Amino acid sequence: MSDFWWNVIDPVQSVLDGVMFGSIYALIGIGFTLIFGVMHKINLAYAAASIGGAYASLVVFQVFHAPALLVFLSAAAASGVIGYIVYICCFRFIPTEMPLATLMASVGMLILIDEVVVHATAGMPEPYPAMFDDVMIDLEPFWIRGDLAMIFALSVVAMLVLLYVLHRTRLGLATRAVAQQPSAAQLCGIDQQNTNAVTFVITGALGGLAGAMVGASVGILSPLLALPLTVKGLIVTVIGGLGSIPGAIVAGLLVGGFENVFQYFRGVTERDIYVMLLLFVFLTFRPQGLFGRISTRD
Amino acid sequence: MDFYYGMAQLIGVHTLLGLSAYVVLLTGQVSMAQAGFFAVGAYLGGMLTVLAGWHIVPAMLLAAVASALVATVVGFPALRVKGLMLVVATLAFGEAVRIFWFNFDYQIAKGSIQVGPLGGEGFKQIRYFPENGWTTADLALFIWAWVIAAMAALWWMDRSRVGSVLRAVGEDELAAQSVGINLTAVKVSAMGIGGFIAGLGGAIYAHYTTHIEHLNFGVVLATFAIAYPILGGLSSVIGVLLAVIFIQGFLVEALRFMGDWRNLLFGALIVLAMNVRPDGLFDARATRALRRLLGGRDA
Repeated sequence: MSDFWWNVIDPVQSVLDGVMFGSIYALIGIGFTLIFGVMHKINLAYAAASIGGAYASLVVFQVFHAPALLVFLSAAAASGVIGYIVYICCFRFIPTEMPLATLMASVGMLILIDEVVVHATAGMPEPYPAMFDDVMIDLEPFWIRGDLAMIFALSVVAMLVLLYVLHRTRLGLATRAVAQQPSAAQLCGIDQQNTNAVTFVITGALGGLAGAMVGASVGILSPLLALPLTVKGLIVTVIGGLGSIPGAIVAGLLVGGFENVFQYFRGVTERDIYVMLLLFVFLTFRPQGLFGRISTRD
Repeated sequence: MDFYYGMAQLIGVHTLLGLSAYVVLLTGQVSMAQAGFFAVGAYLGGMLTVLAGWHIVPAMLLAAVASALVATVVGFPALRVKGLMLVVATLAFGEAVRIFWFNFDYQIAKGSIQVGPLGGEGFKQIRYFPENGWTTADLALFIWAWVIAAMAALWWMDRSRVGSVLRAVGEDELAAQSVGINLTAVKVSAMGIGGFIAGLGGAIYAHYTTHIEHLNFGVVLATFAIAYPILGGLSSVIGVLLAVIFIQGFLVEALRFMGDWRNLLFGALIVLAMNVRPDGLFDARATRALRRLLGGRDA
């Protein structure tokens, strides 16, 4: 092969790795966007709850030595429970017309979850199981890391399940109705509080899966993962367009690939600057995001 | 005694940070960029006294003006987006500023040592106060002079037409616009004033800790900045001060015996406070009561 091709292979490889890792950002972005769509509120504790769920699943891993897939699923379950707790503590009883109060409460919850994790683990990073991490798929001239491929596949499955629930079940119908027009949905006999709570549980489960996959791909879990994941998830939500699930998916993969290629060229300390720049480009030229509509509501 | 002076300094600096977020919040915008403006003020102020050998007061003022300019520039895209989008945009901007300083090196030789910001190692030896023989008491007085000036200015602003205009925009943009308020001008000036105060606070912070690094100015500090005015209630500057005293004085210092459990309690207390008093601990009714107590008229 010519020199040119040799120079291209590495960047393309890093885009490939980044896009697969980006499926985690997509899951977190979907969580933010769904909660926003249904409640028009930001749940800043979301990524922390995801990492918290992954930590909770460590019990299954360390005590019962369960296989990795089971650990991931229990992370999703635990995170769903945490999602419900977050809903009760930060959203259920605070009046809806006070967005600052719910925002602040979810920040308090973020700190609380982080601190509970720190106390439970003495602040030390914990090893996390992965699947297929010794497999390398050889696609001449590229390689695909087995664990990343598994993460990507699991994310796709999770997204398909979510889309099925949203578009093919009564529960999803209720969720979409509340998102569209809360009072009209209530007039049709849909219990708004109930729908909100279910949304928090569903997004919590998605987040828990994302948290588990962060652990699986990095190899360890650390409470320090929560804040960067929050920032990336929010960026993905905005780039994809608020309330748009396909937008969050595309933006997640985009941000993942983008960040990894800049990490390849500019190093890990600078890469996030370029992600922020990407966000600003979107805010300036396409503030409604990739798939969002310009909304008149907040 | 030094301990209490140190306490007073910390509370003073955090009050400035809270006040900077307070102004912006009055217009209904949640800015997570205050830590970024604070960092701009800290690094520039430190560079002016250490590298250029300026006196502290002009250094602080220039740093604050620079922060205000940065904030104004950020304010413009803020007009295109609101709500969640604004939170994310300002959060990303604050993080971008932090990463900028993380990658920023500018050192010169001063005597036998190198001084100036050095990337991840931070900016050490900002020794204006020790070099000029200021005691901790002097410094505490100096900081509080600024804090009181800023609080008085904002208190006055709150009661003037400017305050009403800011609050009108915060309450209902459409209504404000329809009575002829220029939203762009109001929001950008609020960001500018907030940037100025954050810059002042940052410059003082750099000099009193003598060592700053990019990690000081992360999301956590940005969260604190908006937590003070929200917890304090947006009805007056007193609320911000009370919230700072409550968090930094009571939660951080008085509960020191609880060790690491303090942070956990901190998170839980925020959640509880917002559920019990969603308007903030020191809300409009408390402000009115205070005004009556001081003999002022009801606003």
